[in-house]
Amino acid sequence: MSAHIANGRLVVWITLFIGMMFQIMPLPEIAAAWRPDWLLMVMIYWGMALPHRYSILTAWVLGVLLDVMLGATLGVRGLAFALVIYAVELHFQRLRNFPRWQQTLVIAIFICIYHLIVYWTEFVVVGDSAFSTDMFLPAISSMLIWWWVFWMLRNIRHRYKVR
Amino acid sequence: MKPIFVRGVSHQFRLTLAIILSVVLFVANDRVEPIRQSLSTVLSPLQYLANVPGAMLDWSAEALATRKMLSAQNKVLMEQQLLMSERLQRFEHLRQENVRLRALLGSPVHMDSRKVVAEVMEVASDPFRQLVVLNHGTRTGVYVGQPVVDAKGVVGQVIEVNELTSRVLLVSDSTHGIPVRVTRNDVRAIANGTGDIDEIELRHVAKSTDIIAGDLLVTSGLGDRFPEGYPVARVMSVARDDGQSYAVINAQPLAALDRIRYVLLIWPDEEDNTPLVPISVEENQSLKTDSAEDVQSEEANDTPSASQNPEVSQ
Repeated sequence: MSAHIANGRLVVWITLFIGMMFQIMPLPEIAAAWRPDWLLMVMIYWGMALPHRYSILTAWVLGVLLDVMLGATLGVRGLAFALVIYAVELHFQRLRNFPRWQQTLVIAIFICIYHLIVYWTEFVVVGDSAFSTDMFLPAISSMLIWWWVFWMLRNIRHRYKVR
Repeated sequence: MKPIFVRGVSHQFRLTLAIILSVVLFVANDRVEPIRQSLSTVLSPLQYLANVPGAMLDWSAEALATRKMLSAQNKVLMEQQLLMSERLQRFEHLRQENVRLRALLGSPVHMDSRKVVAEVMEVASDPFRQLVVLNHGTRTGVYVGQPVVDAKGVVGQVIEVNELTSRVLLVSDSTHGIPVRVTRNDVRAIANGTGDIDEIELRHVAKSTDIIAGDLLVTSGLGDRFPEGYPVARVMSVARDDGQSYAVINAQPLAALDRIRYVLLIWPDEEDNTPLVPISVEENQSLKTDSAEDVQSEEANDTPSASQNPEVSQ
């Protein structure tokens, strides 16, 4: 049984790793503003599917790692990830059973909230960051691919019987 | 249902813990730098991995370049080299004159400092900051605070180093300031980034100060971080509004910050003692005179930006 759990853990971390790669992957100048929040989406999925195994503190660690990768002030994305996943954990039962379009919409709202939190904390901690509505573009692109990510991760979860 | 029984501490507790940890990191921002450095060393292979698609595109562009393209490029580079070497001849003359004059004055003579060409890695950075990642780290001797320039002017300074990569804060970042002087009349000021990639501003400059649009700003060497004389920006607009206590001066960075690919890392305190590799002049029909060859080999490692400023000194 423990070997099984270890195996499942490996699968989850591999998906999170791939999410991280996509998150920092170079994109052409035009597409850069539209970069979907891969890592956050993968984390939201696991937070929704296995809320008692991967939740707020996992999200916080991932957020801090992302801060390191992006060269941002440590903890900014950690805080934002933790807050978003907290919201996911409060409603994971409902989120799981939402119809497709409604779930997508809620995810888009979560991603908007995430970007707002990042903006606010950067503003407070670093200061002088310029507000532009461009920061909500990732919410749109994430919304468009959320269902694909969800489907993919659910298949992976079923295939490797991650519990 | 299993999950009910394995439930540990509550979500509220975990969230509180996460928030406290984040705030601790914000407050101890400077002290956690070593942790950050080791983490980023561990994670730097990821950056190389993420850079692979872009590097492959580059490689294929190189591999697929046609003969015609290459010869056209070669021709352009030849012409450029001829122009540069002509400039170097004049520069060499000025340099010697400058050395003599400085000797007369008893001032220290500027030494050529060590430089390394670095490549900008295409990885994502914090969208609220102006940062780029370079492919050199502590292994090459890169250090925090090191000046970075490109062919046209100052790019920024290193703010974070690990084994294999380093991160550069661009002059246009809103937290970056660089001491400058106007070449026309030696007025000193500090150029602050605005967060806008093609704009920096001079803050707290009195309205009576003699700065006009078109002035060239070069590093003043004050602050002991950037060596003196590198071009930074050109003044675009000066507004003296009665409602404001200071003049509002905007300038445009000379370095092409939005599309930098190769930059130079400079060690201002280290003399350049790498053996100078002369450019194979035999193949270059455009250089004929012996003196030109001498100049060529002697100054092969000098940047064009430095050659534009004969009075460079430390």
